[in-house]
Amino acid sequence: MANINDEIRNGLREALINGDSDTSVNLTHQALEQGALPLDLIQQVIVPTLTKVGQDFQDFVIFLPELMASGDAAKKITCILEEVMVSSGQSVSSLGTVVIGAVENDIHDIGKNIVSTLLRSHGFKVIDLGRDVTPSAFLDAAQKEKADIIAMSSLMTTTRPSTRSTINLFREVNLRDQYKFIVGGGCITQEWASEIGADGYALDAASAVELCKSILAK
Amino acid sequence: MQSNLMPTVVKRSENGPFMKEPDFERALSKRTAELIKQYGLKFNPQTPVPSDDDMADRLYQAGVDLFVELGVLNQTTERRILFGRDEVEELVAKARNKLVLGVGKDAVIMRHREVEGETAAVVLSGPTGTPCSEKYHPLILLSCAQEPLVDMLGAGSVSTYMGNQIIPGTPLEILGARRDAVVARDAVRKAGRPGMHISDVAVPLTCQGKMAAVDPEYGLRTSDAFLVSQMVEMKTSYDQLSRATYLQGIGMHIVDLMTPLIGGLGGGAEGTAVVTIACHILGVVLYNASYHMMSHTHMRWVNNTDRMGLWMQSIVGQALSRNTPIPALNDIYCVSGAGAEELLWEVAAGAVAGTPSGMNMQGAGCTGGFKTDHTTGLEARFIAEVSHACLGMTRQHSNELVLELLSHYEKTFNEPNRGMPFNEVYDENTVEPKEIWLEKYQKVRQAVIKMGLDLDGGWRKVKHG
Repeated sequence: MANINDEIRNGLREALINGDSDTSVNLTHQALEQGALPLDLIQQVIVPTLTKVGQDFQDFVIFLPELMASGDAAKKITCILEEVMVSSGQSVSSLGTVVIGAVENDIHDIGKNIVSTLLRSHGFKVIDLGRDVTPSAFLDAAQKEKADIIAMSSLMTTTRPSTRSTINLFREVNLRDQYKFIVGGGCITQEWASEIGADGYALDAASAVELCKSILAK
Repeated sequence: MQSNLMPTVVKRSENGPFMKEPDFERALSKRTAELIKQYGLKFNPQTPVPSDDDMADRLYQAGVDLFVELGVLNQTTERRILFGRDEVEELVAKARNKLVLGVGKDAVIMRHREVEGETAAVVLSGPTGTPCSEKYHPLILLSCAQEPLVDMLGAGSVSTYMGNQIIPGTPLEILGARRDAVVARDAVRKAGRPGMHISDVAVPLTCQGKMAAVDPEYGLRTSDAFLVSQMVEMKTSYDQLSRATYLQGIGMHIVDLMTPLIGGLGGGAEGTAVVTIACHILGVVLYNASYHMMSHTHMRWVNNTDRMGLWMQSIVGQALSRNTPIPALNDIYCVSGAGAEELLWEVAAGAVAGTPSGMNMQGAGCTGGFKTDHTTGLEARFIAEVSHACLGMTRQHSNELVLELLSHYEKTFNEPNRGMPFNEVYDENTVEPKEIWLEKYQKVRQAVIKMGLDLDGGWRKVKHG
């Protein structure tokens, strides 16, 4: 199997950073035709590039449109690479499965969307339930998707109690210990996370990624 | 066009172009980026208060283009509500340029303000955007309502009812909404200003919760207002439109609440400014709003007293002032909290940037909303004093002052001084600021006077001519 050609590697990095989906897809096909391994492309090019994009977003060097475009481009080429892996009998692995949503009654989801984008770009399988997600919807998705982590966001102090009621529902049906729960959002603090018995709290999107990694590394 | 546009809005919500929300967001980001280039919009961190009339006009046109081309996404139907340019121009032209808020001796007139004009800004204050405890919320409201230079009262967000967490859509929400309406009414009565305009009750999230706070005797009246929200960016829903319809039907003031995110879907300061202009048009066209609450925040620090936030306030204020009749209002949102000198520097920068740019004043949002009860009426007094001292000021002078004010606090953004809770900076019995807070206020006040602002003469001129 061939190494990734430097020209293609650099071109793919640049295309991802620029959010250029068409060029990203073309270069991915070229790399595969030259014998590059899908897993190498993911680990050596996509993940480090998207990590840098995520950091630049965190540092306000780039803004949400650029982050979304990079995420979209990465999603397209990841789909191509996964298809190749599946067709050649390889298993498609992810860092873990995260079921994420803005809790019941909370219609503010932009922060949650950013966390979803960053988690995907770091190799997590993300099941995004959207906003105003009821406790039972979290429960159903967790079971259906065999989730590792349940990530809940809440912006308003008046919707914050739904983070507690969601965890409590999992307790009630004796499934609490099967999943790790993390919380974040404008009105969430470490104190609140501790009070409701969550496994982790993230102040921002970048630390949510690190939190998920550290939880699954344990 | 008809005065009641809701049938048209519903018709277009049902028949407009279908678009999934993520696609709408991407389309908004893409078109905004194109408009920035097309209209040559440029943020300069050295000019948080720009004096470029032409850029202000170009910004307005970019905002109109965005609104007309993209429309507003109705999240309920997943369809875009589209209005033509002619319709927008007609509706904006017909918007009110002044309105009476409150009743009797306590009523104030909020006016469309001119750039560098002499018309005084009205000051809306309360713990808006700052979480409050059940215990201190009534005192915080009173501390604002009793400030003579505060014209209108805002509301804080309280998450409990008699110690129980309020769950939206339940009877507890109704109880909480009615309790906070009564508390706000009580605050203006205690302050001797029973007719003072009350802007919103923040507890309820649902439509029925808001309606429950309407109570002519004990709660909110038609001379008061409720916020009708836009979802970031340029989105509404039947729930929000139904609130506007109800308020219009009972003759109550509608406040168009927008919360554009700097660094969000609009991108940087220029793009977010374009989106914000479009948001104001949304408020005129879809909500028939009495006034518009611009509450933009930096995505990382959750404030608008940084250079981008101040530039946005200024250029959007100028664009609206020069191209529309509407009274615009900016919500000064800070990283610092009560009891911190930095908070006073932050609100001063917000008032100095906004007043010559055509804005009315609101504030102060404290601690980026992270700390409960870290807000008081004293910083509202300071906003009013500074704003009234800026009447007739040129934007160039304003820019020089803002740059100096920024030097007192902008380095703290990554580790902000969140200050202290209400009970540590105010006497709970007298509801007067304690010495620890007054000393800091006097210190910053004197420093601002030395910068050339006539804090004593300004408000006297406003009140007495």
